[in-house]
Amino acid sequence: MRALSVAVLRTATGVGFRAAFPAGRGVRPASEVNLSRPERAASALLGGVLLVRGLTRRSVGGAGIWVLGGILLYRGISGHSRLYEALGVNTAGVARREPGASEAAIEVRRSITIGRPADELYRFWREPGNLSRIVAPIGEVAPAGDGRTHWRVHVPLGRSLEWDARVMEDRPGELLRWESLEGADLPNEGSVSFRAAPRDWGTEVMLRFRFDPPGGVLGKAASERLSVVPGALAEKALRRFKSLVETGEIPTTERNPSARAGRGSD
Amino acid sequence: MRALCWNGINDLRVETVPDPVIVNPHDAMLRVTMSTTCGSDLHFIDGYIPTMRSGDVIGHEFMGEVVEVGPEVRQVRKGDRVVVPSFICCGSCWYCRHELWSLCDNTNPRADLQEPLLGYPTAGIYGYTHAFGGYAGAHAEYVRVPHADNDCFKVPEGLRDEQVVFFSDAAPTGYMGADFCGIQPGDTVAVWGCGGVGLMAIQSAYLLGAGRVIAIDRFPERLRMASERAGAETINYAEVDSVIEALKEMTGGRGPDACIEAVGMEAHGTGVQYAYDRTKQALHLATDRGEALRQAIVACRKGGTLVILGVYGVMDKFPLGVMMNKGLTVRTAQQHGQKYVPRLLEHAVRGELDPSYLATHRFSLEDAPRGYEMFKKKEDGCVRAVFVPSG
Ligand SMILES: NC(=O)c1ccc[n+]([C@@H]2O[C@H](COP(=O)([O-])OP(=O)(O)OC[C@H]3O[C@@H](n4cnc5c(N)ncnc54)[C@H](O)[C@@H]3O)[C@@H](O)[C@H]2O)c1
Ligand SMILES: [Zn+2]
Ligand SMILES: [Zn+2]
Repeated sequence: MRALSVAVLRTATGVGFRAAFPAGRGVRPASEVNLSRPERAASALLGGVLLVRGLTRRSVGGAGIWVLGGILLYRGISGHSRLYEALGVNTAGVARREPGASEAAIEVRRSITIGRPADELYRFWREPGNLSRIVAPIGEVAPAGDGRTHWRVHVPLGRSLEWDARVMEDRPGELLRWESLEGADLPNEGSVSFRAAPRDWGTEVMLRFRFDPPGGVLGKAASERLSVVPGALAEKALRRFKSLVETGEIPTTERNPSARAGRGSD
Repeated sequence: MRALCWNGINDLRVETVPDPVIVNPHDAMLRVTMSTTCGSDLHFIDGYIPTMRSGDVIGHEFMGEVVEVGPEVRQVRKGDRVVVPSFICCGSCWYCRHELWSLCDNTNPRADLQEPLLGYPTAGIYGYTHAFGGYAGAHAEYVRVPHADNDCFKVPEGLRDEQVVFFSDAAPTGYMGADFCGIQPGDTVAVWGCGGVGLMAIQSAYLLGAGRVIAIDRFPERLRMASERAGAETINYAEVDSVIEALKEMTGGRGPDACIEAVGMEAHGTGVQYAYDRTKQALHLATDRGEALRQAIVACRKGGTLVILGVYGVMDKFPLGVMMNKGLTVRTAQQHGQKYVPRLLEHAVRGELDPSYLATHRFSLEDAPRGYEMFKKKEDGCVRAVFVPSG
C-alpha cells in the first residue's frame, strides 16, 4: 500500500508540474473546461492539502483521502471533471461537451457473502442509520427528505466532501442504484445488488461505484491502480455491513490498551 | 493496569497501560488469573512475523474471572471462572457454524492487512500482531473478550488454574492435530517438537486411539516429559544420524501413518539444509527454517497424513513434489479451540488429561520478561512459564 501511494504521488505531482507550465500537455483547451473558477481554486487547494495529509496517514481512510486529494488537485488544475462530463454536468458555464464515454472512470466492484436472506440485507441497507454505521470510518449518511440521502465524507482540517444522492433504481431484495445530484463535491454513481448464494452461504452482495478519475492525463493504467484504494474502502464497508448483520456489532480495537502514546485508543 | 508490552525485537517490558473497557455489546471483561507463554509468541519476539507495533500488549493463552459483561451478553455472568480460546470467534458466520473457528469472518478489524497475503482474512487473536486484528493481549490484569457467550468456557469445579490455562491454546492445538490424523486404532503417529503443543498432541493421539506415538526433539527434559508424562517413544534428533532412518527402523520400514509437525518456522537442525535456511532467514531472504517440516514429509508413510501445527510464513524450497508423489493428505489450521475446549474439559474432569506439568515455571506478571527469557532459551528445563497478575 505504501509503495503504491508513493508511485501515485509522483504521477500526481507530475500532473501538477506540467499543468503549471502552459506548454504542458496537461492543460485543456477552454472548451474542455467544465468547472467554474471558484470551484477550480477550491478543488486545487483542497486537493493539495488532502494529498499531503493523506500521505502522512497509513490507514485505509488516509489512503482514501490522498486519492480524493489527487483527483481534486487534478480537477482544480485542469479545470476538467471527467465525471461531470460523463454525467453532462457543467459548472463552468461554457458550452456543454458531448457526454462522451468516460472510459477512464474509476469503477470499483467488490463482493462479499453474508449469511442472511437477500430481503433482510436489502432492508438493512435502506436504513440510513445502518449505512451510517457502515461508513463511519470515512463519513456519515443522513436522510435528506424527498427520497434523498445526504453524504458527508470527512477529510482533514475539519473539512468534508458532501453530496446528495438519490435512488434511481429500486428492486426490493435485488438491487438499489443511486446517483449523486448536481452540486456534488465528488460526483459519483453506484449500486448494491443481492443474489442468492449456493448451499447455506446466504446471499452474495455486490457493491459497485464509479467516480471521477484523474483519467486522461494519468492514463488508464494509472486509473486502474488508483482504484485499489477505493476498492479497499468498498471492501471495508462491505465487511462492516456483514459483521453488523451477522453478529450485531462491528469488530474493533477502539480503546484498546497499549503502551503507545495517545493511550486509551489504538 | 499493568501489562506485558512488546517494544521491539527481543524487548518486552511490563508497563502501566489504560484499563480495557467494554466496547461492543457482546464483550465481557475478564480479570486474568493466569496466562502463559506460547511458541507462537517467540516468532514475533524474534522479529519473524510482521505487523507488531511498539507498545502492543501481548499474550493469547489465558483464563480468568468475569468482572463485567456487555448489554447483549446472555449466558456468561459476572463471577464466572472461564477459559478462553486464543482465537476470537463470532459464533454466527459460516465458518463458525461449520466449526472452522479460527477462520471466523467477523472478528478481524484489520482484514486489509491479511488479505493481500492470504487472499481472505482469518479470525482475530489476542495480543498477536495487527494482521491478526491488533487486539490487546492477556498478559495483563484485565482483558476484553469479544463475543463472550461464544468464546468463554466455564471451568468445572475442582480444577486448578494450571490444569485449565493450556485449554486456551496448547491443548486444543495438539488435540486438533491428533484429530486431523484420522487415527485408526493401532496407528503410529510421529510428533516433531515436544513443546506445549507437541506434548498435547502426543497425549491427544493416545486419547484418540493411536497404538504408538513417537516424539522427536533434542532437549532431554522435554523428551523425558514426552515419555514419562505422555507415554511416547522418543528420538533425540541431535543424537541420531537420520531421524527418517530411525523412524523407518521403528515402524517395520513403513514409516508413521501420520506425522504431526509442532515446531514451526524457527526449527533447529543439524545438517547442511539447516545452515542454508538459517543464513537465508538471518539475511531476511526467507522467513522460515523448515527442517522439521521437510523431515516429516519424507518420513511419513506413503498415503499417510501430514499435519502442520507449527506457524510458518511464506516458505520457499518446499518439497511439494515429495508430498505429491507420496500421495500425502495434508491437514493444517490455526487452532479451532471452540470446537475442542468442551471435550478437553471433559477429559480433564475424568482425569484423563492434566496438562499442569507444562507449567514448569511460575512468575508474577511483573516478572513476565524474565519468564519469556527462560521460555525462549529453555533455561532450567522451562517448557511453559505461567504468569499470575496478583502473584
Ligand atoms: N496451529 C496453531 O493454532 C498453533 C497454536 C499454538 C502454537 N502453534 C505453533 O506450534 C509450534 C510449537 O509451539 P510450542 O508452544 O510447543 O513451541 P516451543 O517453542 O515450546 O516448542 C518447539 C519445540 O520444537 C523443538 N524443535 C526445534 N527444532 C526441531 C526439529 N528440527 N525437530 C524436532 N523438534 C524441533 C524445540 O526443541 C522445542 O522443544 C510453534 O510454531 C507455534 O507457533 C500453533
Ligand atoms: Zn499459541
Ligand atoms: Zn464467525
